Amino acid sequence: MSLRPLEPRDVERLTLDTGPWLSCDDCFALVDEYVERLLAADSGAMPLMRGHLLGCPACAEEAATLVVLAAAETGVDPRPVLALIG
Amino acid sequence: MTTVSGRPAPAPTVESPVDWVTALTLPGPEQDRALRDLHGLLVHAARRQVHRMAAVVGPRDVDELANQAADEALVALLGKLHTFEGRSRFTTWAYKFAVLHAANAVRAAAWRGREIQLDGLEVLADTAPQPGHYAEAHDLVAGVRRLLGTALTPHQRRVVVALVIDDVPIDVLAERLGTNRNALYKTLHDARGRIRSGLRTEGLLEETTGARS
Repeated sequence: MSLRPLEPRDVERLTLDTGPWLSCDDCFALVDEYVERLLAADSGAMPLMRGHLLGCPACAEEAATLVVLAAAETGVDPRPVLALIG
Repeated sequence: MTTVSGRPAPAPTVESPVDWVTALTLPGPEQDRALRDLHGLLVHAARRQVHRMAAVVGPRDVDELANQAADEALVALLGKLHTFEGRSRFTTWAYKFAVLHAANAVRAAAWRGREIQLDGLEVLADTAPQPGHYAEAHDLVAGVRRLLGTALTPHQRRVVVALVIDDVPIDVLAERLGTNRNALYKTLHDARGRIRSGLRTEGLLEETTGARS
């Protein structure tokens, strides 16, 4: 076992304010609508989703791929949305 | 099976049904074609996800993972077809099933055979001031470490250390612990709340610190 100190990155991730609770299942249920609204420049849409994606790297990773796929279908540049959801 | 090399291919061209749900529901040639087209779209989406995570799996695994994920996604999607409400395009709704199954498969493959240590606090060495670190930053780090030991339950501590410090994927940890992604994320969410509350009590965190604006 290797011991290591807490890194600043760890502290940042441990103290994230991710807002009210939203489950991963709820995130999955909403993510398609959320992604399309972000791609339509509705950046304030569904704040609970934003909080969840901030705090859950797995859901964020999957949402990012969905952004790329949905953007390709409509010819929209996905990069601003990808920057928004991290 | 399509060969994977370099960047993922563009989405297959399909003549999408006007009404996917009806086409997928009513038996007949239209249903057969819709199922075939949908599977092609799911393979495309799964390959995109696997490519994004290709660094953690070998190149030989990409096709197999993507196709298997697409098969599983198709089954899952058809089971949820009645829940599609048209709040997004059908293809976006469908893609998310392939993306989820592909991501889970890649993470499971990457962690297969790897031991996950659930030691909690024991893996964290004491923090000592580092040259160039500001005193406030050191106090914050020390405060977080202390609160990991005092503010969290043993279960919260093990989950938080595994997910946040050791970067164990949440679905992999859920499988190892015999629980699910929702339960682990709730544990993490509550633990973050306790740490933030403790830091505020100690004057180490203002109300908005740690949140991304």
